[in-house]
Amino acid sequence: MGYEALDFYDVDSLLTDEERMIRDAVRDWVDESVIPKIENACREGVFLDEWRQELGGMGILGAPLKGYGCPGLSYTAYGVICRELERGDSGIRSFASVQGSLAMYPIWDFGSEEQKEKYLPKMASGELIGCFGLTEPDYGSNPGDMVTKAEEDDDHYILNGAKMWITNGTIADLAVVWAKLDGVIRGFIVEKGDEGFSAPEMKGKHSLKASVTSELVFQDCKIPKDRILPGVKGLRGPFSCLNNARFGISWGAVGAAQSCFDSARSYAMSRIQFDHPIAAYQLVQNKLAWMLREITKAQLLAYHLGVKKDSGEWVPEHISLAKMNNVDIALEIARVARDIHGANGILDEYPVMRHMANLESVKTYEGTHDIHNLILGRHITGIQAFTREA
Amino acid sequence: MKVAVLIKQVPDTTARISISGGLVDEGSISKWTISPYDEYALEAALKLQSESGAKVVAITLGPQRSSKSLIDAAAVGADELMHVLYEGDTGSLSLQSALAAAVRKSEADIVLAGKQAADTNSGSTAPGVAQMLGLPCVGLVSEVKVVDGNFVATRSTSSGMERVSVNGPCVFAFDKGDEELRRPNVRGIMMAKKKPIESLSPADLGVSMEDGGVNVESVGYPPEKPAGQTFQGAASASEVVTKLREEANVI
Amino acid sequence: MSVTIVSEPHEEGMHPTLPQLVRAASIIGGSCTVIIPGGNGADEASKIQGVEKVIKLNGACFSVFDSSTWSAAISGLVDGTVLMATTPIGRELSASIAAGLGRSVVQDVTSIAPGLKLERPSYSGKAVESISVSGDAVITIRPNAIESAESGGSADVSTVDSGENLKIAILEAIAKAGERLDVSEADIIISGGRGLGDQSNFEKLESVADSLGAAVGASRAVVDEWGLPHSMQVGQTGKTVTPSLYIAVGISGAIQHLAGMRSSRYILAINKDPEAPIFGVADYGIVAQWEDALPILHEAIKSLP
Repeated sequence: MGYEALDFYDVDSLLTDEERMIRDAVRDWVDESVIPKIENACREGVFLDEWRQELGGMGILGAPLKGYGCPGLSYTAYGVICRELERGDSGIRSFASVQGSLAMYPIWDFGSEEQKEKYLPKMASGELIGCFGLTEPDYGSNPGDMVTKAEEDDDHYILNGAKMWITNGTIADLAVVWAKLDGVIRGFIVEKGDEGFSAPEMKGKHSLKASVTSELVFQDCKIPKDRILPGVKGLRGPFSCLNNARFGISWGAVGAAQSCFDSARSYAMSRIQFDHPIAAYQLVQNKLAWMLREITKAQLLAYHLGVKKDSGEWVPEHISLAKMNNVDIALEIARVARDIHGANGILDEYPVMRHMANLESVKTYEGTHDIHNLILGRHITGIQAFTREA
Repeated sequence: MKVAVLIKQVPDTTARISISGGLVDEGSISKWTISPYDEYALEAALKLQSESGAKVVAITLGPQRSSKSLIDAAAVGADELMHVLYEGDTGSLSLQSALAAAVRKSEADIVLAGKQAADTNSGSTAPGVAQMLGLPCVGLVSEVKVVDGNFVATRSTSSGMERVSVNGPCVFAFDKGDEELRRPNVRGIMMAKKKPIESLSPADLGVSMEDGGVNVESVGYPPEKPAGQTFQGAASASEVVTKLREEANVI
Repeated sequence: MSVTIVSEPHEEGMHPTLPQLVRAASIIGGSCTVIIPGGNGADEASKIQGVEKVIKLNGACFSVFDSSTWSAAISGLVDGTVLMATTPIGRELSASIAAGLGRSVVQDVTSIAPGLKLERPSYSGKAVESISVSGDAVITIRPNAIESAESGGSADVSTVDSGENLKIAILEAIAKAGERLDVSEADIIISGGRGLGDQSNFEKLESVADSLGAAVGASRAVVDEWGLPHSMQVGQTGKTVTPSLYIAVGISGAIQHLAGMRSSRYILAINKDPEAPIFGVADYGIVAQWEDALPILHEAIKSLP
């Protein structure tokens, strides 16, 4: 039984021919290279290096970026890629999100010409892995109060502080790190091997097990002056990266939900209880119909957001809505799918519990569910409710 | 050197086949692909391209939708694309004539094709086209190389494999090979959309698609299998073997 | 109506499909000539009831299979409908003969009725085509789909020499590699599960597999427990397979295993527990200890004609 992507309203017919060909290429890759290996990778807690090479070989890293060896695709195509990758596993999509939207994008948008030439072609090909350091142990939803700082020292900057929950950290060749220089948030490129820089892996996750999560530690980390991103100051830098990553997540969540639906439907059709497939019972049909309903809505949300992103007529709140909604329903669909699978649902024979555990992270990272609600609340009322202070 | 690859667009082998009114309902087919053995032929052609500098021309015959298979071939590296556009059903003879004419027009030196298509499961096209072109045919091939100006192919036989040599133009019909099929990358996909497709009607090639004699009256579902039969005791195994041969016809 | 059968060369005398082709010819009606490229088994062929004439087609070219050369040698001798068996050689040669004669070809016919009403599977057995043929066509018939004609004939045997030259040269023969077929490619799979009791018992499945040209598969339970290669695993997290025949030995049929093999065309299950879920999907179920049933199964397979 091959994977059948639920597309009740034939939303993919709105894609261009090239976008559909890219979808098929990524979907086939996931079938051949992710699905047969993902459970073992999760068990061992590793991101397979062959995935890095093959993602680079397909030419999909940094999908919407143009020039410097980058693919130059539409944001919609980027979304489709994220959806197909996350159908395999959120960890694979996370790798691509971080590489493209969080590490390549800031260099592409805010970097110097020399920085772009030096890093982007090799990052697009997968030769170099990037990560993104914003969140700190004590500053998650509130990154503006970060304590990591940079100081000028002759022809160098000295970084001190620590970042946490950094996808790709330990395997990265370079990190885009946000730190305060004279009280202003700036972006810096830190390379593996820089003096005073280490990236120990965080172990013991019950979620995103096939993705590497790390701390980034800077102890008088010395980097040359030409590693600062000249093009941006303040939170606008990291937030513009996050907008792109969250856009990809809103599509990716649809992929995880489609995978759970596919598994639940086929399980319900073949599992016999009380002499009939459980799919013949009303309670199960109700669950499947609800999943179909929510996935179809989420698909339309993601697609239209892609159209807006490609036309440039979007505001960050549009992305917040899609990220929040689509991850939320995907997580609930994963839970309901697990329920339909009964006890079998907890086994790694089926993808549902893995997606469920992954999506718990996805709900929290890149702006928690609640923070996106507050972003929308502020948009509706004009009153910010993030802090107790005015 | 120019290599023609004959490719056919077929329903994905995992797709459900619905039949209504004595015909396969094409509208219900969710995914069309290049027939799997043709993909091995294409892969072999692309190897000749990279190893011997061959130009690869992908040729298909079929309705409008089948141009997608040419674009897929271009996405992995086919240099030229030729579509013999024909919406109707084809008999083996007219199909082979039209493909042979297309190969002549392409001025290809050798022809690679799959050993059989995943829809008709016939396996007549490659040897038929060879006959019409007056060329030899080598079937069940897993690899073709150019060695000292000859084509050397590995083909499977009832007792194993053999390497055979042909010293001129030839048609090779591909079985599943050991080669891993290349996957299209984004650059290939973006280039493919710019590649022109030479679209020809059978009449352009001087071929009539009329061929009498064989008429597919209807297509139906295979007969329902009888209900499962249970046999008690080990001794029944020999009876079951007889049934596997005579009832099920699978051994 | 005339029928010409082209009987594929066979090392040990007549090709085993020839009596079936003769039977098919008698269904069509009319006189039946058998051409044997290379001439092996002509005497045997002449004794099949319904054969009127046997032509031993001799020539140096028949040492190597070369369809275009063979069809050039054969085409001039055929008269009326041409029948061959659906074997790799039959498919290629029949298509070549048909194209050379300007005729249509119908491959892999599984049923033949008077008036040339044919049936053949398409879409890998997911559909069946009903075909009518008028005029002379070239037809291949699936081995064992039609009963054999009886013996008891006494046809004339004549010899024709062909001077056709080969266009294909054999450089080397490569013996069949020892490695086993992969389950995702095999047309027949024999799989074992926990009921086998011990990993060493897989050897017994392998020897049956050798007789059938089958691949050997396994359930997840034994892949995990006995450390068998994951490539053998059939099921939800292993391979999904759709062979013509799937033989499950000592496999109870957990839903995860069924997910990977229930679309097989025919399923034979051997299990000692009559309540095992595998019997729910089996076309043929043998309720027995596998240790007792497998040797009998194997012997019966080996003694198939």
